[in-house]
Amino acid sequence: MKLHSLTLLFSLLILFSCNSTSTQEGDGSGSMQIAVIPKGTTHVFWRSIHAGAAKAAQELGVNIIWQGPQKEDDRQMQIQVVQNFVSRGVDGIVLAPLDDRSLVPPVQSAVNRNIPVVIIDSDLNSDIYKSFIATDNYEGGKLSAQRLAEVLGSKGKVIMLRYAEGSASTTKREQGFMDTIKEYPDIEVVSSNQYAGATMEKAFQASQNLLNRFPQVNGIFCPNESATSGMLRALQTAGKTGQIKLIGFDTSETLLQALSKGEIQGLAVQDPFQMGYLGVQTVYHVINNEPFEKQIDTGVTMVTAENLSEPAVAQLVNPELDKWLDE
Amino acid sequence: MVSILNQKSIIIVSSSVESKTPKAEADTQAHLHERSRQGMNLKKVLSQFGPLIGLVFVVLLFIILAPSSFYSFYNIKTILTQTVIVGIAALGMTIIIISGGIDLSTGSQIALGTVVIATILNMGITEAGAASGGYVVLAALGGILACAVCGWIIGLITARFNLTPFIVTLGMMQIARGVAKWIANEQTVATPVNGLQGLMLLDPNPSWMVFGWGVWITIILLILTAILLKYFVFGRHVFAIGSNEETARLCGINVSKNKIWIYTIGSLFAGIASIMQYSNLTVGDPTAAMGMELDIIAAVVIGGGSLTGGEGSAMGSIIGALIMAVLRNGCNMLGVPNYVQEIIIGAIIVGAVLIDRLKHRIK
Repeated sequence: MKLHSLTLLFSLLILFSCNSTSTQEGDGSGSMQIAVIPKGTTHVFWRSIHAGAAKAAQELGVNIIWQGPQKEDDRQMQIQVVQNFVSRGVDGIVLAPLDDRSLVPPVQSAVNRNIPVVIIDSDLNSDIYKSFIATDNYEGGKLSAQRLAEVLGSKGKVIMLRYAEGSASTTKREQGFMDTIKEYPDIEVVSSNQYAGATMEKAFQASQNLLNRFPQVNGIFCPNESATSGMLRALQTAGKTGQIKLIGFDTSETLLQALSKGEIQGLAVQDPFQMGYLGVQTVYHVINNEPFEKQIDTGVTMVTAENLSEPAVAQLVNPELDKWLDE
Repeated sequence: MVSILNQKSIIIVSSSVESKTPKAEADTQAHLHERSRQGMNLKKVLSQFGPLIGLVFVVLLFIILAPSSFYSFYNIKTILTQTVIVGIAALGMTIIIISGGIDLSTGSQIALGTVVIATILNMGITEAGAASGGYVVLAALGGILACAVCGWIIGLITARFNLTPFIVTLGMMQIARGVAKWIANEQTVATPVNGLQGLMLLDPNPSWMVFGWGVWITIILLILTAILLKYFVFGRHVFAIGSNEETARLCGINVSKNKIWIYTIGSLFAGIASIMQYSNLTVGDPTAAMGMELDIIAAVVIGGGSLTGGEGSAMGSIIGALIMAVLRNGCNMLGVPNYVQEIIIGAIIVGAVLIDRLKHRIK
């Protein structure tokens, strides 16, 4: 008999939860449904993409459904999310694939059911998608290497803390960094084979280990937000901020504060807002058989304490997220 | 499912008559079997079909709430295919959990399996750029073998040194993950096009199959596991060890030997699951299935398995896996945010154990 009260509880839970979301999604009947699938949902980066997508949705009068993999950075979960949206029969999909190969079969099944797919942020190893909108990550790595060389006076020992196995976008940044840093003969890369892992917690541990192992290091490059945050925290707990120069990738409130305090010497900043905006816009054009671009580069900017106050940079690092995400 | 649970109660009863000879014991068992069947009342039937009722309930709920595409045939195929990996691994976990053990390394083993499969496939690249047939079979067997070796080691250490499986498998979780990253060179391992990649397709190649290979393989394995647990001496020993290990030992069951087999067979299923995982990802991924062991354990527990051992069924575990897949899919259809899904799944796990407790109180 208790079984009934339990099932009742679950049903209430589920009912409650769909009530709360149905208001968020709007009634949506009749209007176009576009699924936007990020790699995760907790990084600020993805919130900016969400905001950009929301802006495009409002301007175009379409509905977006924002859903990441249930476990962050889990390929299997993201495959399932794509499959479920295909099953649901949305009109279009904007996807930031966690893996350039694993996501090919689910995207193929979307294409088989005539659902156009636009890829953002990271590439997919296939040509079945309609358009690819991303940062030139190699260029971002190159910019970071140049900035690090600049603050180090072109000499010293540096560490590159990699992000995670098999992530295409960060691998390109790492490649761009490594290729460019080689051009400076007096800079020695003492470690480039350690991985920060998907979470800041793991990045923090990896960073502490690295700093203990190489106490004489002068500069560090981290290829994404969580790795940079973890490294920054490790530098702070070791009391080495400022002495060891840190160049990071992407922004968050913490990282920007550290930048203005001089704890970070440069952040390579992408334009995720634009990525989300153009992603939804492009898939909208595809659905309506309007002309669209096959490939769009949304650019990288090196943000430093000096140029932080310039209007263009301020707009980039601080897009009006809340204006578009009225949750 | 009913009779599998029956057995358990028989074994508990039989432990009180341990002084009898095996022959006499078997006679008593048969006698008690008859009696307990007669004693079944409606309440017990209800409690034993709890997982199924739960599944029907969740499905009905989403049919009412979700858009009509939820019960489209294509979506049913999607849900079944999404159940395959957790389902197959849950069958192995069922055997382990019935025996009173646990395996926390299943997720890592699956990752190791995908990496081994991908590595062997890459050895067999033909000039056309595809993997040759022999290597495809070899790769699949290699994946299963890699996992089985993990299970054998777990069983050996657990049995010989009398360590708790929680700790041994916690260690294996790290070891298998580390070995996977080592073999894969800390990268995902890309592979040529080959037959294994088609196992998990939603639309199978000969379309008369209706469901993909993975779904059929899961059904076959489900039947085999149910038979193994119900009709084989090994299966009865698993229940006996899980009910009361000391008594089982006194009854003359070689607990150590059985434990090695239990973990090896459990990992055999993880190996088969790793083939499916590889098929889904199409790459060998050392970071795959991170934390999946918890989903797998949850499936077994939702399906009526008891972490104290002696209880559980193959069918129940598959239903447990299905419940979670339906919930994820349905929440997705409704556009429910991820955190709500996690809360609901968590609540269901606790709820299932709660029902299990109540079931015992009824007895």
